[in-house]
Amino acid sequence: MNVLYAAAVAAIMAAAIYMILSRNLVRIMLGLALLSTGANLLLFTAGDFSNRQPPIIAPGQDRLGDAADPLAQALILTAIVIGFALTVVLATVVLRAWRATGSLDARTVEATEQPDAPELLDPDNG
Amino acid sequence: MLLILFVALVGSCIVPLVARIMGKGAGLVVALFPFGLLGAFIALAPVIERGWVRSESWRWAPSLGLDVTLRLDGFSFLFCLLITAIGGLVTIYSGGYLTNRSRPDRSRFLTLILLFMTAMLGSVLADNMLVLIVFWEATSVLSFLLIGFDGRSARARRAAIMALQVTAGGGLALVAATVMIGHVLGSYSLSGAIDRAPEILASPLAAPIIIGILIAAFTKSAQFPFHFWLPNAMQAPTPASSYLHSATMVKLGIYLLARFEPLVAGIWWGRTVLITVACITMLIAATQALRAESFKAALAYSTIASLGILVLLVGLDGPAATVAMIGFLLAHALYKAALFFCAGSVLHSTGLGSLRALGGLRKSLPLTALACTGASLSMAGIPPFLGFISKEFLFEAQLESSWELIPLAIAVLVNAVMVGVAAVITLKPFFLKADHPIEIEHPESLSVAVPPLLLSLAGLVISLEPDWITRVAIRPAVAAVYRQPVKVDVAVWHGLTPMLALSAVVVAIGFVIVRYWRPIHLRLRRQGGFERFGIERMWERLLRTLLRASAALTRLVEHGDLRRYLATTIGVIAALVIATWWRIGAAPRIVIGDRPMLGDILVTLTGVAGALAAARAKNLLTAMVAVGLTGFAVAITFMTNGAPDLAITQFAVEALIVVLLTALLLIVPLSVKSTRSGSQRRTDGIIAASFGMVMFVTLLDMAAVQNATPAADWFGQMSYIAGQGHNVVNVILVDFRGFDTLGETAVIAIAALLAGSLLGVRPGKRDGDDAGQPVHYSFAAASGPLFVLLLVASIVILWRGHDQPGGGFVGGLAAALAFAILSLARGVRSAERTLRAQPSTLVGAGLVLAIVSGLPGMMGGQAFMTQLWTEPYGWVPKLSTTISFDLGVYMVVVGAVLAFLFGLQREAAR
Repeated sequence: MNVLYAAAVAAIMAAAIYMILSRNLVRIMLGLALLSTGANLLLFTAGDFSNRQPPIIAPGQDRLGDAADPLAQALILTAIVIGFALTVVLATVVLRAWRATGSLDARTVEATEQPDAPELLDPDNG
Repeated sequence: MLLILFVALVGSCIVPLVARIMGKGAGLVVALFPFGLLGAFIALAPVIERGWVRSESWRWAPSLGLDVTLRLDGFSFLFCLLITAIGGLVTIYSGGYLTNRSRPDRSRFLTLILLFMTAMLGSVLADNMLVLIVFWEATSVLSFLLIGFDGRSARARRAAIMALQVTAGGGLALVAATVMIGHVLGSYSLSGAIDRAPEILASPLAAPIIIGILIAAFTKSAQFPFHFWLPNAMQAPTPASSYLHSATMVKLGIYLLARFEPLVAGIWWGRTVLITVACITMLIAATQALRAESFKAALAYSTIASLGILVLLVGLDGPAATVAMIGFLLAHALYKAALFFCAGSVLHSTGLGSLRALGGLRKSLPLTALACTGASLSMAGIPPFLGFISKEFLFEAQLESSWELIPLAIAVLVNAVMVGVAAVITLKPFFLKADHPIEIEHPESLSVAVPPLLLSLAGLVISLEPDWITRVAIRPAVAAVYRQPVKVDVAVWHGLTPMLALSAVVVAIGFVIVRYWRPIHLRLRRQGGFERFGIERMWERLLRTLLRASAALTRLVEHGDLRRYLATTIGVIAALVIATWWRIGAAPRIVIGDRPMLGDILVTLTGVAGALAAARAKNLLTAMVAVGLTGFAVAITFMTNGAPDLAITQFAVEALIVVLLTALLLIVPLSVKSTRSGSQRRTDGIIAASFGMVMFVTLLDMAAVQNATPAADWFGQMSYIAGQGHNVVNVILVDFRGFDTLGETAVIAIAALLAGSLLGVRPGKRDGDDAGQPVHYSFAAASGPLFVLLLVASIVILWRGHDQPGGGFVGGLAAALAFAILSLARGVRSAERTLRAQPSTLVGAGLVLAIVSGLPGMMGGQAFMTQLWTEPYGWVPKLSTTISFDLGVYMVVVGAVLAFLFGLQREAAR
């Protein structure tokens, strides 16, 4: 179990990193979405997942019996939503970049915000 | 003293405003203020006279060891008298000197002068070294502002920056020394540090501390190799040069050295460094003083030489050296300030600065000529002026000290040059004939003539009538520096002594220098080596190299390529982790665990396949679908492993991502040519693979110490009892960790705001032009029922979330999905009409609702976000504030997603 999921997390994250290192903005965005999926799975694997019972207290009981780790799940739940928000914000940024420069290449987008020439301070002119 | 300092600070800001209202005579009125402070100090004279020390303390930031502790002893007292008295005269002089400036300019100048006075007072009164540093750096900054007072002149700006770089840089050395002293002694008290000098000397930090103090003092007092800023500082208006760059500020370094003499002398090389640096400084400055062309430059170099003499006197041992140091400090402050005033008057009246061009001004500037003569006689050390007495002290100190004859010979030579320079700067402008007739622009006024006259007169009066000043200032100052009472005998005639003989030698050589000044001067001027090999040139080259290096470094580090930034970051992280494993040398713990079921394997492989396909995909749409595939596989994994909440959230998110990103992918080109070269791809592949490997090993190791956390157990135990909910995940989110969830919700709300600004959603500016792309009729027909179904489902999910899988996040996502279907099928406008509200309104209302849900608990006297419950019997369901909280989250999520969805789809339709 452990080895399977560890390998899956590693493969997903490696693929995500590979995509992020691209200079295509959409690919970077998709890579980040993939990375957050991988991170969620990582958190889930790191929590106690030996039990397949959902962490829901059975009717009539007042304590949780044998069940999966609820804490990790609460963490991941918010992480999924935040990751989603991040992806969507990135999507709008990419869209703006495309509208402004007509390019999806990070180098072009970067070039538009560089000042014309780096000015060297000349002590003679104070 | 705290009061005096406070009054000085406030007064410096307010009093100079007089110069905005008054024209002429403003200087006189403003001068009443420093003279008032002088009076306040003189009132303290009886304390000092008895050899007492007065301390005051005000707790400022005790946790930092930062108390404003002031300490007035004889040495500080002498400085205070000089600072306030000369400050007053400078103020009067400025009033007459700055006549060709506007009133705001004059007011600004006087403010800076008085603020500088306050900073000086603070520097010499401070006992806490951190406070000393604050005032010390304040004097550097004010010096910068005064040198660069004429901000339109490039030379003034350059000189100001140079002075700031050198003196404030030296201040940093003082900061370092102070921190080390605080580290060694556990206290920042200046007097304490001197008392406990043996402790500092015994510590390994002794050498760095002393070096820091020396650098601070040498930069401030313009000693070799930091002397070059002072001649450039002559760009300042002359009153400022007179006050800062001869009489007071440059003496701060001497002040520091004299205070720390027990420490500096305690290390074997301490005195040697002091005397060597002083001698080099004196020789360079004396040569340059003969070489200087302008009146002010000659004075500036002679000031450096005088500072060298003072450093030499600090370096010499024996009580006579201390007496000589105090005597010379006083004499020099008086005559040099006066000479600067005279130089300023000449410059002001004639507009000429060069000594060679000047001449015959005796008739047009009679009072100035008189003052200059008096001050020069003092500088030359001609009896009965104070300069003579201080020179006698100097030679006495040298003869008594245990040092070789070389410093003595240098001192004789330098003093002879001083005689020569003093004679030249008096005779040439005032008494010798000018080569060309000189036009007088401004006649001499009393306010510029009286201050130098008073100072010259003081030099005469003190030597003839030395009782009072010896009693209240010189003797206590000597006692404070030497740290035990010393007999001080200030008198012009001591009988026939070796010192008198040396004085005679000095005057004789001085006469020769005066006689042959012109050939010496011209010969020195022809030597180009002074400029070419000057420290100033080296300093500028150093600065330029520094700038060039930093520019190159910036270009190297800030290359602007996103890929390289990320590759560096990720690669370094992976390398660091691997290096740490290597260093620790422990193998990761691997527990294989139970065998996975076939279903698990298949689902996981699907996810991995999706990720790999996404990475390899040429087409962006393919990549998106592949990423979605991984997402769904992970969702299924969640579901089969006991996390239904996560599963439905992930499903909803994946569905929404498809809808939202499709809107984006409709606009941008789907297949673009690769942005990486083949070798770059390989590098990236290696980085990605090593990162994946690090994650793999880490995760295996983490899983090996698998144990249920106590927190997770506690939540399981208390969820129903304290939170009244069966779904533990939801109870954690809305109740136990509700405050965190509120934060997350706020993040989503902020993202929605971002969408509003990035996608330019303007309320009410849209026309009904967007029918959207035609869709298949079956989808169009099904969209209505689907919308209703999803909306109802979302509310059910929201409602039952507390006990069953569900909750605000998932409910919100499902509702957003409902609207997404509607807008896909019927266009954005139709979906917006159905929503009836702006998405951002929904976000705001949701956030308010979530926050308000925490208030009832607070009103009940408990912490914010303490949820309350009522569980009535019968058919009424249990009610609680968590419902309101979850509803708030729901609304925020719906609003945020729809803000993006509508914005993106509109943008796509453009």
